[in-house]
Amino acid sequence: MKNHISHLIFQSRFYSNGIHLKRYLKTCCLFLAVVSCSNFIEVDAPKNVLISETVFENASTVESAMANIYYRMREEGMATYGLSAHLGLYADELDYYYADFNLLSLYTNSLLPENSIVLEYWKNTYSIIYATNDVIEGVTKSTTLTVEEKEKFKGQALFIRGYLHSLLVSLYGDIPYIKTTDYIENNTTARRPKNDVYQSILADVVLAQSLMTTDDPTGMSVIPNRSAATALLANIYLKLENWELAEHNATELIEAFQLEPDLNKVFIKDSKETIWQFKDDLITSRNTFQANQFIIKAIPGQTYSLTNTVLDAFETDDLRRSSWVGSFTSNDGLTTLYYPYKYKASLSDKESLEFSIVFRLAEQYLIRAEARAHLGNVSGAKNDLDVIRNRAGLEATTAATKVDILDAILQERFVELFSEQGHRWFDLKRTGRDGDILGAYKPNYQPTDALWPIPETELEINPKLRPQNSGY
Amino acid sequence: MTKNHNLCRRPRIYACCLFFLSISLTLSAQDLLVSGQVTNGQLPISGANVLIKNTNTGVVSDFDGRYTLTARPTDSLQISYLGYTSLTIPIQDRSTINIIMYEDATALGEVRINAGYYSTTDREKTGSIARITTKDIEKQPVNNPLGAMQGYLSGVNIVQNTGVPGGGYDIQIRGRNFINGGTVPLYIIDGVPYGSLSLESADISAGINGADISPLNAINPSNIESIEVLKDADATAIYGARGANGVVLITTKKGKAGATQVTVNLSSTLGQVSHFLDLLKTPEYLQLRREGIINDGRGDRLENPQFNYLYPELKTWSQNRYTDWQKELIGGTAYRNVAQLSVSGGGAQTQFLISGGYQKETTVFPGESNYKKASALSNINHQSSNERLNITMTANYTSEQNQMPRTDLSGVAYRLPPNAPELYTPEGELNWENNTWDNPLATLEEDYNVRINTLLTNVGVAYKLLSKLELKANLGYNTYQLDSYKLLPNTARNPKFGFTPQGYSSITTNNSSRNSWIVEPQLHWKENWKDLDLDVLVGTTFQSQTSEQLVLKGRGFSSNSLLKNIAAANSMEVREADDSDYNYQAFFGRVNLKLKNTYILNLTGRRDGSSRFGPNRQYGNFGAVGAAWIFSEEAFLKTNKILSYGKIRGSYGTTGSDNIGDYKFLNTYNVTGSNYNGTLVLEPTGIFNPLFGWEANKKMEAALELGFLKDRIVINTAWYQNRSSNQLVGIPLAATTGFGSVTGNFDATVENTGLEIDLTSINIRSADFQWKTTFNISVPKNRLVKFPGLETSTFSSDYIIGEPLSIIRLYRSLGVDPQTGIYQFEDYNQDGEITSLDDRNFIEDLAPKFFGGLGNTVTYKNLSLDVFFQFKKQKAFNHLRYASAPGILNNAPSYFYDRWQKAGDIAPLMMATSGGNFSLFPSRFNYSSSNKAFSDASFIRLRNVSLNYNLPKGNNKMAISIYLQGQNLWTVTKFDGPDPEQPSHVALPPLRQITLGTQIGF
Repeated sequence: MKNHISHLIFQSRFYSNGIHLKRYLKTCCLFLAVVSCSNFIEVDAPKNVLISETVFENASTVESAMANIYYRMREEGMATYGLSAHLGLYADELDYYYADFNLLSLYTNSLLPENSIVLEYWKNTYSIIYATNDVIEGVTKSTTLTVEEKEKFKGQALFIRGYLHSLLVSLYGDIPYIKTTDYIENNTTARRPKNDVYQSILADVVLAQSLMTTDDPTGMSVIPNRSAATALLANIYLKLENWELAEHNATELIEAFQLEPDLNKVFIKDSKETIWQFKDDLITSRNTFQANQFIIKAIPGQTYSLTNTVLDAFETDDLRRSSWVGSFTSNDGLTTLYYPYKYKASLSDKESLEFSIVFRLAEQYLIRAEARAHLGNVSGAKNDLDVIRNRAGLEATTAATKVDILDAILQERFVELFSEQGHRWFDLKRTGRDGDILGAYKPNYQPTDALWPIPETELEINPKLRPQNSGY
Repeated sequence: MTKNHNLCRRPRIYACCLFFLSISLTLSAQDLLVSGQVTNGQLPISGANVLIKNTNTGVVSDFDGRYTLTARPTDSLQISYLGYTSLTIPIQDRSTINIIMYEDATALGEVRINAGYYSTTDREKTGSIARITTKDIEKQPVNNPLGAMQGYLSGVNIVQNTGVPGGGYDIQIRGRNFINGGTVPLYIIDGVPYGSLSLESADISAGINGADISPLNAINPSNIESIEVLKDADATAIYGARGANGVVLITTKKGKAGATQVTVNLSSTLGQVSHFLDLLKTPEYLQLRREGIINDGRGDRLENPQFNYLYPELKTWSQNRYTDWQKELIGGTAYRNVAQLSVSGGGAQTQFLISGGYQKETTVFPGESNYKKASALSNINHQSSNERLNITMTANYTSEQNQMPRTDLSGVAYRLPPNAPELYTPEGELNWENNTWDNPLATLEEDYNVRINTLLTNVGVAYKLLSKLELKANLGYNTYQLDSYKLLPNTARNPKFGFTPQGYSSITTNNSSRNSWIVEPQLHWKENWKDLDLDVLVGTTFQSQTSEQLVLKGRGFSSNSLLKNIAAANSMEVREADDSDYNYQAFFGRVNLKLKNTYILNLTGRRDGSSRFGPNRQYGNFGAVGAAWIFSEEAFLKTNKILSYGKIRGSYGTTGSDNIGDYKFLNTYNVTGSNYNGTLVLEPTGIFNPLFGWEANKKMEAALELGFLKDRIVINTAWYQNRSSNQLVGIPLAATTGFGSVTGNFDATVENTGLEIDLTSINIRSADFQWKTTFNISVPKNRLVKFPGLETSTFSSDYIIGEPLSIIRLYRSLGVDPQTGIYQFEDYNQDGEITSLDDRNFIEDLAPKFFGGLGNTVTYKNLSLDVFFQFKKQKAFNHLRYASAPGILNNAPSYFYDRWQKAGDIAPLMMATSGGNFSLFPSRFNYSSSNKAFSDASFIRLRNVSLNYNLPKGNNKMAISIYLQGQNLWTVTKFDGPDPEQPSHVALPPLRQITLGTQIGF
């Protein structure tokens, strides 16, 4: 309140002018004093904003904070459409038809550190990781949530934190593991060796697994629960060649879920084999991104089509070839292209028919088969493999030795999991075959392409992330 | 006599009669009764002072400009009126003396200049104030006041962003001060701050007007009396935290005492695109296309019908067809019809003005798109009979409706293959040519519609407590309401996609509003002693602004006929639901001391509090000192015949900026409007920093003002240096923090220096013939002075210490390699590779080097002609920025035919490519970011020509004038794009407009 100053100025200048003036001035100053109040410039928070502390005061707002995480994971797409399409291009699953420079660079394995997809994945993923850390910290500090609520949310957030780091480490190699919201610390964080990162992931996901239950209140696996953590653990243990734990975790799921016998029902939203999926809802009035992206409705107008490598990989009687591969022929009848047709509903009318699946049971059978083969249990491996083959209308595998059965499992993973979550690319990398197989199909492919570059701008902001991955 | 007159006039009439009576009574033998009429040549001037020289006796001319007084035959009459050159006329025994007064633009000491909280004159001002008045505004057929200012004001750089009606403008006053970009000045309309940021949503109108709708469109230029632009510290410091980017004061017309004056103005404008690009014709285009496919190693596809679908332009479309798509899509004529009616008048105590206008403007696009605007202004002034109380009330209401296609057709007009098919089938349906192309006119079915209602009101109350002490209060309320929608029916998309209304059709709506009120009580004290004049002002401001925006998208309709009803959508999505409050409080003051009319000292200050900052950071202090020495008043110059006026002035002070958006200091979660699995989404808003504070902007100015030959020539020269520090920037963060930046004060300094020269010269002035010239030029220079840690920051590729903020880094092109046919670039670090970080080292600047205007006004009897040129020296991205390779699908300028074809060729452009050869990508893209893609875009533009003829007055006293005006008539430039003023290759350039109109006054 500064009006006493003006009051003083006038008092002194006019003092001699007599009593009338003083009365006037008093009135004026009173006027100024009444209208000015010190908290005039403090405004209420807007209606569309909640002050952070209040978010963690009750379970429903924390649920909203988690909903943000799932919403962003779905919309920003790495776990939904992104990996399926982008790594399909990067490996040998998809051909590309548009002239988007960033996608072309993926397709031609000539990524630059400035590539916008390389940057978007890095940026968006760490941004969602921030949100998980904010939930973990907020829930931990909260004095009003019950123990059960705290465990549920913390379990979910830890699981997502682990899952996202596992995607990053598969793409970029050594990365920082972010466990706090402190921006000063995170701004200058350093990359940690891949194996360290995996240890942190395991720590998070194992803890998450113990905090979460197998309850699925929605009945559609659209919020991750203990089973999702178990599926992720099986997947990671396989990568880390911890065959016992891979088998152990896969078994837990195989005992709890059932395969969907009809191939045409595997990807519908209430498929029995789905372990975790993202709900695509009517608000955006569409079914899955994958269906919108892959299904060819016009030539020209196509973005992707399946490569001959994929088409040739199917055995002759494989039902997946007819159920999960679609085709489109141009108006003039001269051009026919094929596309992934696992997700079939590309536009919605009144109701979504399919959601985006992250983990499903078939993968767990194949994980367990591979783990068992490595553990010397060839017949157990064969059994698991044949479950998948039988569903696709194929005879039991003829592979008999450990080496043969491992090859057969990889081949089966290719045709079962094509155009899903980048499985093809990760499998080739994991088994060290990326150089041979991709090198033959894609002339530009070099061994250093096994890792994406760290985004250039990030290296500039935080020099501790240097050096760049080799080859870039 | 009084029966037929308006009530308002009565007091004045009685006063006149009484006065007349009293004169009659004192008439004596040797006195002479002198009468006559004061006019400006056509219209009466009421309120002019007619004084007998060397006496205190005199009268004021009445509403018809008439006067009567008694004087001795040997006396002289002295006639003066604000803004007109004073005259002295000897009576010489005449009893009737009609007086014609001339408006005097160089009446330095008489014309009051609005400085916001106070007014001053050119002669006495200590600060830098540029000004444009109704005289220059009404000559220009523009929709937005900013359009009328272009080129007229030194130091003010204005660019019209689009030729689409209702679009926005960019304005920079004395350069860019802040790294975070904002150059928006503070707009004050009749004393009330007015939010100038667009409330349109990019979801809705990004394609047609870049979501940029200037709220200033609501101010009808013909209702404007004057626009003042405050530039230096002396003028802006009283606006404290909002003054850093300058202040634009808009004053609307006020009622004037005198006969009730009715003015009708009718005009019709034709507008067309002023310049079309010279693009490839069909044979050349197809030749390049074919050559590109062959060069890409895909020649076999030309014969293979399997690939027909990829190249319809070569395979299925007619090879001989040619359409000038520019003519077809943006070659129409836009019509604007304007009707304006105003009534003003009143007596000594009360004056009024009522003005209404309506305009309708169409576009150069095909179809029925149009922009409509209706506006009303009313103003009442009242002064109590004891002259103590003064009340002014102004209300301005504008309603706009703009209906446009969803996308500007300019971009597609430049890009479409010249042999692209017919737009319509013979049946009149959109032609999709067997689904081989996206028909550009489909966008006409994608309706964009916006309605804007604006109400600006203000009341000014002043009460004289004592003869020299006045209590004032300025109260204002503004409301701006924008409602828009965009329709995307499935029928506007290629049928090949098989879209249905259920699956595809959508509507997006935006309901936005901004309301603000302001209360500003003030005390104003004037005192004068013998040689000293004192003027003191103190006041306080309370301002509150609330904004709301709700953007909804509804998708899936059972039929397109329901599309406008969002309630009929299958699903609805909230795209944006924002609301914000902004409160602002200040104390301000001014002390002005004037000694002997020669030495002037002006002190201004303000203490500002803003809700945009966190606790304990809300207040900031700002202030300035300005001084002037009118040296022509000194004895040694007072009688100088040549130099009639000379002043040196200077100012120094600080202003600030809180232009960072609301609530940035709070740690919050945001309701985004989305949900997941039925659960509302709450998203962390960002990393919060409760500690940021005001940006500071220190301004310094020195100026010399000279008037020669009784001020017939006036030259003002100003030099300024503005330094902005404590920059509020999004300090970049590593992505591992979860966010891109955190808002904070950054210890970087940006400097703007410049020289501005304004010249006015009355070359010839006689009763019948006048010729006046005005000229202004601004030479701005922007420089980044300090930026700690620039090299290691994310800004390292954007800025360089010592260079302007507006630099761009480019590759240096070495032309086309005669052997390989692709572009070569200088390898600055000689590592054998061309990389963005190391080799983009060719520095260019986007900001203009200098700009200004030259105007000439010639008046001969009833005819007057104005010719105004605008000029700007600048560089801009040319066509190569958007496409650098011949042979791609999009059409290109005809010089693209001059390409490399075989080894040994020396050619300006690379080999043709169809776009399918990935190995050519780096070369193509680097060329678009090379010095070759950035070239001279300087221009001299005949911005305005206005010819006005006043019909000789008949007996009915009607004053009729007819005018012909042209805007943007002719341009000299080397620029290869559509328009150098707004060097975009996708937006409709500002149109060339010719207006024919008439004004009738009675």
